[in-house]
Amino acid sequence: MKKIDIAVVDYGMGNLKSVSKAIEHVAPNKSVLVTSNPDEIDAADHVVFPGQGAMPECMYELDARGLHEAVINAAENKPFLGICIGLQMLFDHSEEGDIKGLGLFQGHVKKFALEHKVDAMGQKFKVPHMGWNQVYQSEQPHPMWNEISTGERFYFVHSYYVSPVDNNCIVGFGEYPERFTCAVARDNIIAVQFHPEKSAQAGLQLLSNFVNWKP
Amino acid sequence: MLIIPAIDLKDGHCVRLKQGNMNASTVFSEDPGAMAKHWLDQGCERLHLVDLNGAFAGKPVNEMAIKSIVDAIGGEIPIQLGGGIRDLDTIERYLDNGIDYVILGTAAVKNPGFLHEACYAFPGQVIVGLDAKEGKVAVDGWSKLTGHDVIDLAKKYEDYGVSSIVYTDIGRDGMMTGVNIEATVALAQALLIPVIASGGVTNLEDVRKLCEVESEGIIGTITGRAIYEGSLDFAAAQALANELSSNAR
Repeated sequence: MKKIDIAVVDYGMGNLKSVSKAIEHVAPNKSVLVTSNPDEIDAADHVVFPGQGAMPECMYELDARGLHEAVINAAENKPFLGICIGLQMLFDHSEEGDIKGLGLFQGHVKKFALEHKVDAMGQKFKVPHMGWNQVYQSEQPHPMWNEISTGERFYFVHSYYVSPVDNNCIVGFGEYPERFTCAVARDNIIAVQFHPEKSAQAGLQLLSNFVNWKP
Repeated sequence: MLIIPAIDLKDGHCVRLKQGNMNASTVFSEDPGAMAKHWLDQGCERLHLVDLNGAFAGKPVNEMAIKSIVDAIGGEIPIQLGGGIRDLDTIERYLDNGIDYVILGTAAVKNPGFLHEACYAFPGQVIVGLDAKEGKVAVDGWSKLTGHDVIDLAKKYEDYGVSSIVYTDIGRDGMMTGVNIEATVALAQALLIPVIASGGVTNLEDVRKLCEVESEGIIGTITGRAIYEGSLDFAAAQALANELSSNAR
């Protein structure tokens, strides 16, 4: 099999050109492959697990395509980046459809409950959380944040957020309006709630940090 | 994906134009505040306002109408507004008075330095509207076609801190001939920031097609004539988008 530097997991629920193009941009000399073939995922050096659709359907499609094991295997053995639902799927369970996740991180995925909350300007907090918001990094430094200041803005679109059991895995949080976890990491896994491929330079820097990461 | 109703203001009224022609306008309501309330009641989650007179004049003209809209629905849902915004004071005044996002069009093209300053002064609240005919950007209420390529300009702006790009296909606007999916997707794929589609949305099929490509970073679509003339039922459109949405999680 030809060398695959970076595999982007495709479980058939949407286009991934934006993600793969952004990665190609930060890794011009590497081979980037969008694939739903477990063998290709196994053969890749780095694996990106993007979010596409609602969690129950994602878990279903992952299984239907025989990708469940390949994803877990990748997450346990090589640099692995989860994005948006790709973060949520790593957890034990989600309120969305009352579905079990991959169980790589202990904790639940919950829905924002923001009725009756308003901001300083009297504007209601809407769900999904949609738009640019600041991401604050935790005290413990992590290579994913190289060249990125704490408080940098990233682009979010989500109605659910992760609630980890182990605080040590939390590397980034946002506020909407209360604090919520938006980035986790342990061993060779990084996962973020926001969309780095739609977060301009800050997002590109994070992707660059990921492709150059040797955990 | 957000289905975003548009309220275009000409001489204080809500109108729809064909391909941006001020002489081909149909008045749909003389009460912009009531119009805004109507869309809110239908379940809209964001409103798009255009000060048409302002776009041509290069400065705000329909401020009373805008105020009546903010009074009617301010605080309930975000409002984005474009048309004649060319200086920081105008931006500040709008943002202080109930507008959530300002849309710069001509100003972004003719004065990129100003755009950069605006993004710095009002992070996350500045959207650029790029309106194109056959891939080339038009300015001044679409009265002038420049030689600038849409994708080239948009890529320049994403480095400034622009919140998103509203991409309007002038040829399709108000014509109900369907959305220019290829061009919108090409733009979204080329950019590192979100895109809002505009121009030509006619029926649920267009909504479906846009939702299929949503994960490229197309976060919403603006619709005008179709919801005013009834070829698109707004509530049905938003319900369909919510059902198909890959991003509202």
